[in-house]
Amino acid sequence: MSRSGENGHAPGVPDVGRPAFDEMVDDERTDPREELAKTDHDTDLGLAMAEDAKRVSRGELSAEEYWERYDELAEREFGDAYRETPNPSIESPDQTIDAETAGSLGCSVGSMDSVACDLQDRDAADAAGESSGDATDGDERWGMVIDLQKCVGCDSCTVACKAENRTPPGVSYNVVMEEEHGEFPNVTRTNVPRPCMQCENPPCVQVCPVSATYKMDNGVVNIDYDRCIGCRYCMIACPYGARYFDFGENYDDEVEEAGEITSPEYGVDRGTREDGESPIGNVRKCSFCTHRLERGEEPACVETCVGDARNMGDLDDPDSEVSEMADSSRAFQLKESEGTDPNVYYLE
Amino acid sequence: MATEHSRFEFDPGFLDNRLRVAWYAVLGVLLLIGGYATWLRLTQGMQSTNLTSTTPWGAWVAFYIYFVGLSAGAFLVSTLANVFGIERLHRIDRDALFAAIISMVVALLFVWTDLGRMDRMFYPFVWRQLTSPLAWEVHAYVAYILVLITELYFSMRYDLARVAEHGSGLRARLSGLLTLGRRTTTEASRATDRTWLKRAGILGIPLAIFLVHGGTGVLFAVSKARPYWNSGLFPVIFIVSAVLSGTALVMLLYVLRTRLFDGESVDRDLLERLSMLLAVFIIVDVALTAIEALIAVASLHPHELETWSIILFGEMSWSFWWFMVGFGWVFPLVMVSKRSWRRTPWLMVVAGLSVVIGIVAVRFNIVVPPQILPVMEGLPHGSYFPSAVEWATSAGMIAVGLLLYTIGAELLPLTPLDRGDH
Repeated sequence: MSRSGENGHAPGVPDVGRPAFDEMVDDERTDPREELAKTDHDTDLGLAMAEDAKRVSRGELSAEEYWERYDELAEREFGDAYRETPNPSIESPDQTIDAETAGSLGCSVGSMDSVACDLQDRDAADAAGESSGDATDGDERWGMVIDLQKCVGCDSCTVACKAENRTPPGVSYNVVMEEEHGEFPNVTRTNVPRPCMQCENPPCVQVCPVSATYKMDNGVVNIDYDRCIGCRYCMIACPYGARYFDFGENYDDEVEEAGEITSPEYGVDRGTREDGESPIGNVRKCSFCTHRLERGEEPACVETCVGDARNMGDLDDPDSEVSEMADSSRAFQLKESEGTDPNVYYLE
Repeated sequence: MATEHSRFEFDPGFLDNRLRVAWYAVLGVLLLIGGYATWLRLTQGMQSTNLTSTTPWGAWVAFYIYFVGLSAGAFLVSTLANVFGIERLHRIDRDALFAAIISMVVALLFVWTDLGRMDRMFYPFVWRQLTSPLAWEVHAYVAYILVLITELYFSMRYDLARVAEHGSGLRARLSGLLTLGRRTTTEASRATDRTWLKRAGILGIPLAIFLVHGGTGVLFAVSKARPYWNSGLFPVIFIVSAVLSGTALVMLLYVLRTRLFDGESVDRDLLERLSMLLAVFIIVDVALTAIEALIAVASLHPHELETWSIILFGEMSWSFWWFMVGFGWVFPLVMVSKRSWRRTPWLMVVAGLSVVIGIVAVRFNIVVPPQILPVMEGLPHGSYFPSAVEWATSAGMIAVGLLLYTIGAELLPLTPLDRGDH
């Protein structure tokens, strides 16, 4: 009962033959000579190096022979550019040529790895040295501006948030509050996405008996899951209903190994989700995806928003996009009369 | 029958052994049920409750503030005797103090069970937050329990020493231990005790009123997100209903223990005095609650209006009308309205029990209704009725309190040996 047809190929798949595929590839392939002619460098050298590189990969030529043949030619052709560019065949974890050959090469710069490390170090030094106007220089006050005219109420932010933060059933750091007003046919519907407001004067921080929740320098209200005793006083105090208790439920019925991956919230990796271990029994909430902000990324809800309604940035920088939007006459905060001064602004 | 030592014969506890067996059997059953429920709570975590993120506080919090109130109330009744020197009340002084201590133990059991991370119960003593009423409260509770124990010691030491000297067996040995080595039974030592008792009481009164119970009211009142709690009158009502439940409890215990343990006749004048106190506290509680409701409704604040309509007409309105208004206020007021009824012990037991149960509903109606309405339009509505595990653990914790009280009443001279006529 073979499922394949008479000619040995799967039923329903046209038999065009292997050579036909190869022809199609050749048709699409750019002509190397034409392509290399566009540069200022030697076309013949390029073609020769490419042909021999193919021979190295086929095993007809050793990598050492290849570099002995082309090191000098390449140095002459490219000069400093060659000498200062790391050679991927040396000093990387999987160095492909022997040490003797590697030592004799003209490109004196170390491996790709070491060059990449140097670049990172230089960036870090720059950031620490002076506060440049860089996007993530460490002294931001993170703020979010949500344009309600652009929000279509698709709930993508809620879904992206659950996927990013791996929140259990009953915990949703972001929700979209939907309000319908009026009577048919004169009805309006407003969608108001609600993350944690990261208030400047957070009532939750005020009431926590063990200081497990506190305001960070970057404006985000943190929860220390290793200190929270689960008294839920902060949930009572929050005027935005932004806090959720982790009752220890799981998506195990829906997804296999649902608890295997957790999100490194507030930059702490807690490994797999286990009974009796924090954050189970703790209060949880939106962290503005601190772990993403720290690596220079936007929060998941901002990145995913289909209408580009959500914006993230530094409210302390008067020239930032979010500052300008938060200063506009359309801007407002939720429950302004509470005196909490949220760092989430809405544009009406 | 009258031997030389008859006046030192000390045998508190049940007079009727069958009653003793029956009572301990009832407590045993409650403890077994509560123990099983506690095991479920420990293994399943907070999933064993009907709490949600919309309604995060429920039965355990309601019982916790109930027992804090019961304790503060019973303590304030005790100060009527040992600080304000109302003569006849000396008889119930120790009983009130002991009940106050047990109530605090039960209250702390409830708040402990309510923690998401029970293993971290000691953290509030390691880390603090100056702006958090809860952080202050846990310290006030500890200080308050220490004051209560100090008071009970000075109130009872003289009799403990006498029992240790003249009695025999377990009670004498226990009494000897509890004197902490001060075994003199001179009048001078008794005067020293009374001085210190009064000093501790004076320290305890503001502690109980303002920090322990007023503070528990403040814990709710500071929550601006819940306008129903966010009122200055709220902590005051808390204290009044606490005193009300405490008075009812002391009256109840006085009659039951005098009859069942001491086998004496109830002092009708004392009973009438207590029932009059009860009536006054009920009237103050009703009046302040009415003022609070009036101000809330007159504000026309939508959250206030809806919360009150949930209380008065919602699916849990039976607890307001039947338990809070009926058992807590109307029924006991009717019971104490006639002089002859006020002097009838069993009627006053029923009235006291009615108040003690009614105030439970008062506490539930404080905790739950403001968490039904979402804090913002568009968020889900809450709905809460305690789960079987919550009810059974609560029964178990109350049984622990009853057991501790009964054991104490069987072993300690809670009724003054000279019947309080000093």
